[in-house]
Amino acid sequence: MEILDYDVVILGSGIAGFSAAVHASHASEGKARVAVISKLHAMRSHSVAAEGGLSGVLHPKKGRDTLDSHAYDTVKGSDFLADQDAVEELVKHAPEEIKFFEHLGVPWHREDNGDVSARAFGGMSTPRTVFAEDKTGFFMMRALYDEITSLKNVDIFHEHFATKLMLHKNRFLGIYTIDLGDGSARVFSGKSCIIATGGFSRIFSFTTTSHSCTGDGIALAYEAGLPLKDMEFTQFHPTAMVPSGILITEAARGEGGYLKDKRGDRFMSNYAKSVMELAPRDIVSRAIVTEIARGNGILHKESGLEYVNLDLRHLGEQTLDERLPMIKEIAMKMLNINPSEEQIPVRPAAHFTMGGIHTDIDGQVQRADGKGGVDGLWAAGEAGCVSVHGANRLGSNSLSQCAVWGRKTGYAAAKHARRTKAGKEEYGRMFEKQVERERGRLAALMGREDGVDPYALRDGMYEVTGRYLYVYRNMRGMRAAKKALSRLKAMLPRMVVRDKSQIYNTNLRDTLEINNLIRLADIVAACAMRRKESRGAHAVREHPKRDDANWLKHTLIYNSIFGQRVTYSPVKITKWTPVERHY
Amino acid sequence: MRGHSLMIFEYAAMVGIPVLLALTAVAYLVSLTAAYLPLAIVLMLALFTYGITSFIEIYAHRQPGTNRIALRTSVVEGFIGETEVREKGMRMLTFKVKRFDRGDRVLKEYTYNVAVDKFMSVLDGLLGIKDRIDPSLSMRYSCRMGICGSCGMVVNGKPALACETNAIAAAREGTVDVGPMEGHQLLKDLVPDFDDFFEKHKSVEPHLFRNNAIEKYNANRVYKQNMEQENKFLPSSFCIMCGLCMDACPVVNSNPNFIGPQALSQAYRYRNDNRDQMGGKRLDLIDTLEGVWGCEFIGACSEACPKGVDPALSIQLLKSDIMASGFLGKDDD
Repeated sequence: MEILDYDVVILGSGIAGFSAAVHASHASEGKARVAVISKLHAMRSHSVAAEGGLSGVLHPKKGRDTLDSHAYDTVKGSDFLADQDAVEELVKHAPEEIKFFEHLGVPWHREDNGDVSARAFGGMSTPRTVFAEDKTGFFMMRALYDEITSLKNVDIFHEHFATKLMLHKNRFLGIYTIDLGDGSARVFSGKSCIIATGGFSRIFSFTTTSHSCTGDGIALAYEAGLPLKDMEFTQFHPTAMVPSGILITEAARGEGGYLKDKRGDRFMSNYAKSVMELAPRDIVSRAIVTEIARGNGILHKESGLEYVNLDLRHLGEQTLDERLPMIKEIAMKMLNINPSEEQIPVRPAAHFTMGGIHTDIDGQVQRADGKGGVDGLWAAGEAGCVSVHGANRLGSNSLSQCAVWGRKTGYAAAKHARRTKAGKEEYGRMFEKQVERERGRLAALMGREDGVDPYALRDGMYEVTGRYLYVYRNMRGMRAAKKALSRLKAMLPRMVVRDKSQIYNTNLRDTLEINNLIRLADIVAACAMRRKESRGAHAVREHPKRDDANWLKHTLIYNSIFGQRVTYSPVKITKWTPVERHY
Repeated sequence: MRGHSLMIFEYAAMVGIPVLLALTAVAYLVSLTAAYLPLAIVLMLALFTYGITSFIEIYAHRQPGTNRIALRTSVVEGFIGETEVREKGMRMLTFKVKRFDRGDRVLKEYTYNVAVDKFMSVLDGLLGIKDRIDPSLSMRYSCRMGICGSCGMVVNGKPALACETNAIAAAREGTVDVGPMEGHQLLKDLVPDFDDFFEKHKSVEPHLFRNNAIEKYNANRVYKQNMEQENKFLPSSFCIMCGLCMDACPVVNSNPNFIGPQALSQAYRYRNDNRDQMGGKRLDLIDTLEGVWGCEFIGACSEACPKGVDPALSIQLLKSDIMASGFLGKDDD
């Protein structure tokens, strides 16, 4: 076992984690020692799969776009659950991030005069999404990774799986990880920590996300007794390719693509007449599921899934090659479909989790007792819930959020590390005690010879989440889901790791991930069955309307000595009073 | 399994043999006109022998059709897996998976039967084996849409991304051969060790260099660039760092110190970005025998790249850049 001491420990290596690393380094003028811990090769995090673009008002005068307009679109898209002060912070800083990433080398698409171009996106009242082809996240990730290779004070730990977040008396102590390469334990102690481990959409089997999106950081925070916020809101992206669930970017509709039912009608005219296919994702996803339920979908024979068509044929070969090349490549490689000649079969798939670790507007993780923040602990990106996305995120706001709060938390963590002296002896003792306990737990897991197959538990979870927690939910179903997931959760301690090897043991990693996933799915069900209204991504059959009188509040859930405890906190409203959404 | 001795022979074959033949011809011409006939004959014989033995050395060590010395493979008899197709529309495929064992340093070939449908990739097949048959099978994977660069492996003898390769289309008589990228050091099963690869990438300083580093972080304006300038480096910026080009490159396979097509293509990417201000230093970094001059323009890298990057061309253009700046005594920046 190896213990490493750092000033700033960053868990997760997506756009938020990497941004935090470069800014922590910059803020400390290259002095703070920064560790980036990734369970993958750091540059392969799920952020690479972000396609459409990054939102920000880059040319306020030219397009007559304003920060307020971006903020209002975001608040309205969130079904008024977003904290409006946080949204204002997001739109204020997003333009700086566009320029910053340009300075790192991202090849933003440009106009003839050299200005960065923007494209239309769902729920945005004007084109304000900048993009690099349809591989925006990939280019941002490569730029960040390449920048980090030039920073001498930032160390990357590839393929280290975190199993425990260690706290004591509301202060961050360290993180326990397993080095997948040789199976040894590596423990990080530090003054500041930023959790940027992304979301947990893999609780669903039909998802656009990478195999790695298992919400590990969120689960660790919950186990450490920290509160999670708005966990019932899981976004379903309307256009996931059937049958694999691979994402077809919203930019396909932003560039002018149509959604068509089996008769070839653009059914969105019945749901959002003024913006059609460019309504927010919750509205489009509900529309598709409704149409399929009415018998207007098409049956995919091999998988049994029903779908609608995404029609890009009228866009022309040139637009596809210039602005959506990856979509074309994916459709051709995976389905043998050329989108300029044939329609792409799509249906909604789990895509983003609005909920996450409860933080304040600066990204600092909050305590369960509501008495302020945890000393030295921040959460950024999809793992944290500030909340800027409320009940439904608008497309392209996620990359801005990752960049803006990556920078904020990076600065704050570096500043905190500079001010903090080494911990008292008491903390050292607690650190050792927790390390020992964690080592014992993992040894017991590896030593178990008989028990439950983790993959079978995971498939059981898929059944439940797919049936009861998809786009439309109902009260009975959600209660059934909670019951079934609790049963699965009770079996987690009996999971068995069959591969006993020390070197690159993916069976062990899968088991730990499934442990996190089932716990999170159970939390989602617990929060969902309590919210008796339809808001954004949470659509309940029995309660089809939004209910601001009773439910304009954030859900908080934490692990107390009595088990799961759910409380609520108010939504911050600055400029815009909630009204009914019309598009 | 790999070493410098082979590199010398490689050089002899690729560069040395034509030179040797030319020298021999010269020696022959000299012998016609002068009185040094015995000396010329001895010289000719020596040169021929050296050329031919080195040629034989190289090809004796190679597997037919590939450019590398293979690890020893032992076949594990029998198959494990599913015996019947349960779901409609599925088809049974046989996966022959070469798994690296670090203890014995050999590849062990396991045979699995697994049901797939016509939309499933080789990666889906492997995940099926892992989920339902043998949980100890290890490989890297993440996005399953060809952008994260995790799942590079050798499918039917060719380097490929497992997630982009359709399983049924890849099958030959119902069998798919899968093995690890042997051009890298291996950790376990299909998982290569990428430490070396990342170091090589880092060695070309692959980041946008600005004279004013502070300004980079305090962005008030966008640097000037138009689409024409952008398109100069865009094709080489598609690199997903999957390592397939390094696996395909015969020089990398014979000389572990050659920094290889991936890093060099990234040197090209940043050199041709008009926002970069590193100038001539970028060329100095790669103007070495282990840098661009290690490349023998075989082109296997460009053929292997799943994202359409053309490292072979990039490297030749870098070579000509270096020649131009050397002879003209100035950099073109």
